[in-house]
Formats: sequence, C-alpha cells, structure tokens
Amino acid sequence: MASASKGPANHFTILYFAAASTFTGKTTEHLPAPVRVRDLFTKLDGTYPGMKEKVLGSCAVTVNLEYVDLDDDDASGAGQEIKAGDEVAIIPPE
Amino acid sequence: MVSNPSLTEDSTFTPDIPTEAVVKATDDIYIELTPHDLDSRALTTFVRSPSAGATVLFIGTTRDSFDNLPVSSLAYTSYTPLAKNTLFNIATTILNKHKCTKIAISHKLGECPIGEESIVIAVSAPHRKAAWLAGEEALEMTKDKAEIWKLERFEGGEGVWRANRDGIMGTKVPKEEEKQLPKV
Repeated sequence: MASASKGPANHFTILYFAAASTFTGKTTEHLPAPVRVRDLFTKLDGTYPGMKEKVLGSCAVTVNLEYVDLDDDDASGAGQEIKAGDEVAIIPPE
Repeated sequence: MVSNPSLTEDSTFTPDIPTEAVVKATDDIYIELTPHDLDSRALTTFVRSPSAGATVLFIGTTRDSFDNLPVSSLAYTSYTPLAKNTLFNIATTILNKHKCTKIAISHKLGECPIGEESIVIAVSAPHRKAAWLAGEEALEMTKDKAEIWKLERFEGGEGVWRANRDGIMGTKVPKEEEKQLPKV
C-alpha cells in the first residue's frame, strides 16, 4: 500500500507520483520533520535542482491524505507544519 | 505487494498496485480500484433499484493508438487510498447534483491489455436525462481529479511513457523507475 514504512524518528514520509517520481528518480523517501509546507518546495528544489520550476509548479500536495491549499498561507495552507510520522505526497496533474 | 527487505530505505516503496480490490461503499455508492478485470454486470446490478427508471452504463476501454502512434500496452498507477476517497467524493457530488438513485465507479489498476475495460461507471436515476448527465459528468470528474496515472508503451518504441492530460504527449519514464512499475 501507499503507506511506506514509518522510517527514522523525527522524519516524515514523502511519496512522489508520476512526473515527481520521474524527476527525483524515487517513489518515496524520509525527510526530517518538522517543516512547513511552504518551505518543502524550496527544500526539494535544493535537493533536486530545477524541480520547483519544472515539476512542483503544477503539483498539488497532500498531508495525511488531505490536500493543502497552497494559495493560502495560514496554518491550514502553506503555513501548515509537517510533523514526524506524517505521510506527504506530491501529486502531479493526472 | 511483495516488498524486498534487502532493499535500502529509499527503495522500499513501489507504486502500489494492490493485490485485491480496494473498495469503499455505502448503500447507494460503490467505489472500487482493482487489479482484476472490471465487472460491468456487477456494477449495473448494484445500481439497480425499484425507484430508478433508467440506468446508464459507461465502459471505457484502452485504445491501441495515441495521436496516431500505435500503443502496444497500458498500465495504471495510483495513490490508491487518496484516489478511493476522491472517487467517493465525486460519486457523492454527482448523486446529489443530479438527484440520482445509485452510482458505482470501478477503475483498473496495473496492467490493462488493449481493448479491455479500464473504467466502468454505472448510474441509476428515476428518469433517463439525469442518468445520462450524471454518467458523463462522473467520467469527466474522474479523469480530471482521481489520482490515477496512465503508463503507455508504444509499438517499436523504447520504454514506458507516462501519459499527460488528454491530447498531450506524455513523458518518458527513466529505466530505473521503469523496473518498479507495473508491466505494461
């Protein structure tokens, strides 16, 4: 199933689908928590240069199966904090 | 799904094709993501009701070409737990909007041979107009919103291509990732 192993303590699981998987060469990995959603794209772009422009710009993000409103900067949107054990997914257009 | 314990942490996850159907259902909604053949008859039977005078059945089958390029095989990957919820929400919306009686949506996951069913939608309503409209809208919403991605292999071509939205050529899947994907 989509829930990968919980991974190391103080980490969250990120799932890459379709074009995001193609770009990173991975389907999942564990990243250190906490991190705010708005900082996640910057962080990913640092690890995978060009990802923000080429892939993430057209992607949606879910945290524990709930879509994050990336246009909204408060705690229910891009300001939301991703915690250890969370399952985050990068969702390209279908 | 078989996971290989000897793989490193970064490789333990493979795009999930469940070995059995993933289902979410109520008395009037049936959602299914399945690696098995789709059963249009079972879906039609599910939506049957004494209060419905019309049932519309849509069957989507895999086509053997894309933009005049011959497609030799196809497969579907999905974020299954989320896609199941999304399909359920679509079904709920459609049911309320068109005052339908029952609705069933089933989508294929994994390899889907050319010419076989990749999606089946059955919807019943008191009268035919609502059922027609509901069936069409349910399909369009599924294609637009459900977290399901199509993989295609072209005849004579190398590798697997990930389809984009309708009418746009997909992008090639790198060799490394291809190993983890369902056979197409």
